[in-house]
Amino acid sequence: MNVDMRDTHRSFGKNRAVAGVDLQLGTGVFGLLGPNGAGKTSLLRMLATVLPPTSGEIRLLGRDPRGAAARREIRRRLGYLPQSLGYYPSFTVVEFIEYFALLKEMPSSAIPGAVAAAVERVDLGAKARAKLRTLSGGMLRRVGIAQAIVNNPDLLLLDEPTAGLDPEQRVHFRGLLRSLGGNSTVVVSTHLVEDVGTACSEVALMSAGRIVFRGTPDELTARGAGHEVGDAPLERGYSAVLAEARS
Amino acid sequence: MTIPNDPGHLPSAHDTPAHDSPDRVDLDRVWTGVAAEVWRRHPGWVERTAARLLRSPGLARALVTTPSLLVPWLISTAVAFGVGALVSIGPGQSLVWLIAPGVAAVGIAFAYGPGTDPAWELSLSCAVPDRVVLFARGMAVFAVNAALGLLASTVSGAAAALTFGWLVPMTAVCALALAVAVTVRSASVGAAAGVGAWTITVLASQTASGQPSAAATNVHAYLPYLAVAVCCAAVVGYATRPQREF
Repeated sequence: MNVDMRDTHRSFGKNRAVAGVDLQLGTGVFGLLGPNGAGKTSLLRMLATVLPPTSGEIRLLGRDPRGAAARREIRRRLGYLPQSLGYYPSFTVVEFIEYFALLKEMPSSAIPGAVAAAVERVDLGAKARAKLRTLSGGMLRRVGIAQAIVNNPDLLLLDEPTAGLDPEQRVHFRGLLRSLGGNSTVVVSTHLVEDVGTACSEVALMSAGRIVFRGTPDELTARGAGHEVGDAPLERGYSAVLAEARS
Repeated sequence: MTIPNDPGHLPSAHDTPAHDSPDRVDLDRVWTGVAAEVWRRHPGWVERTAARLLRSPGLARALVTTPSLLVPWLISTAVAFGVGALVSIGPGQSLVWLIAPGVAAVGIAFAYGPGTDPAWELSLSCAVPDRVVLFARGMAVFAVNAALGLLASTVSGAAAALTFGWLVPMTAVCALALAVAVTVRSASVGAAAGVGAWTITVLASQTASGQPSAAATNVHAYLPYLAVAVCCAAVVGYATRPQREF
């Protein structure tokens, strides 16, 4: 079990972003859906050990992140793509990825090969030595994905990873997700329901800080039978579950 | 895809198992090995030395990428100190003592933090603790500014009390700037607090003794300066305690 959250809460003042989430995840690609403000990003930040829970228990990769040594070990095996990832404009693609490989405390001798592999996996070989300030938004997003996977993480957390990617790159990325989910836990937070349908083995839907649905994409699709809101079957399932949760 | 672990060795067709035919060469693996060599970054001597001293290549890399230690910033600092060394308000009274604490405070405030580091959120999720990065960068910026200031002060022929006297208020002003920057999470506010506090101190000294340089030369003020520095260091320690982030 790579992720084990029990009755986890997170509040910001009076606003409850996450309200009693229980989540246990093994290997595979796990999609996290929900409207804006549902608590997806707060949940992901807690899993990334960036944001502490207000209450509740979290264990990641078999360790309690409250301990400094355990947290450091978790972070070595973690890949994280935040929703808004800042970039150092004067860095090249390779320098940026290498910088975070070093901060993740990868062995120095393994870094050049790992960086090259990560660059190739996101299809940025032609731009490897380009300055980040010269790249498009979609390319920068792929740089962010590359830094997240450079250490072959056991726990990979991606917040809106396909934002800004063109359709061809999104298809490529879904394939990458499926391959990564073979031997690690991948959590993808997204607004794009179609990403979840094709890449995720399991999906959860969040609303008002709670998980209101958990199951396979097919099960979510089935919940939309007879529901009229939404263009695709999975979207109808998404809308039906949300409407039920709000009523 | 297999990642070669030996960076000094380029994979080639000869690396494939003997039973593989030439048309089964893993070109992806070969290309990745070549790309790793071509794209490899060679750290400069400063980074290599820092990595040896700090026993952490990651921390060394974070250190040499400190915004207020990059070449343009260092040139600006050197120019400011140079002007301070050339301008004098009296015999043996160059302006280095006046400039140094303010310049150092700005540098410290911009060393590290959410307002300075574009990828701050991501840095927080990395194994090298952000608190350690902050400490290393802060110490390095202080040391560089102190060295440049002392050099300028010595070259200017300032009186002995002024050559070294500003180091104590500089410590307090830098600690204050860092404490404010870390607490309010804004490098600009931290820098403004440091420069503002130093300006008020100098003006107060002039009002009290008629000598603005008394802010740096008054030995009786050293203990309060150090007390402020210790208190601000405690604030930095509290504001960056691990529980705040997790």
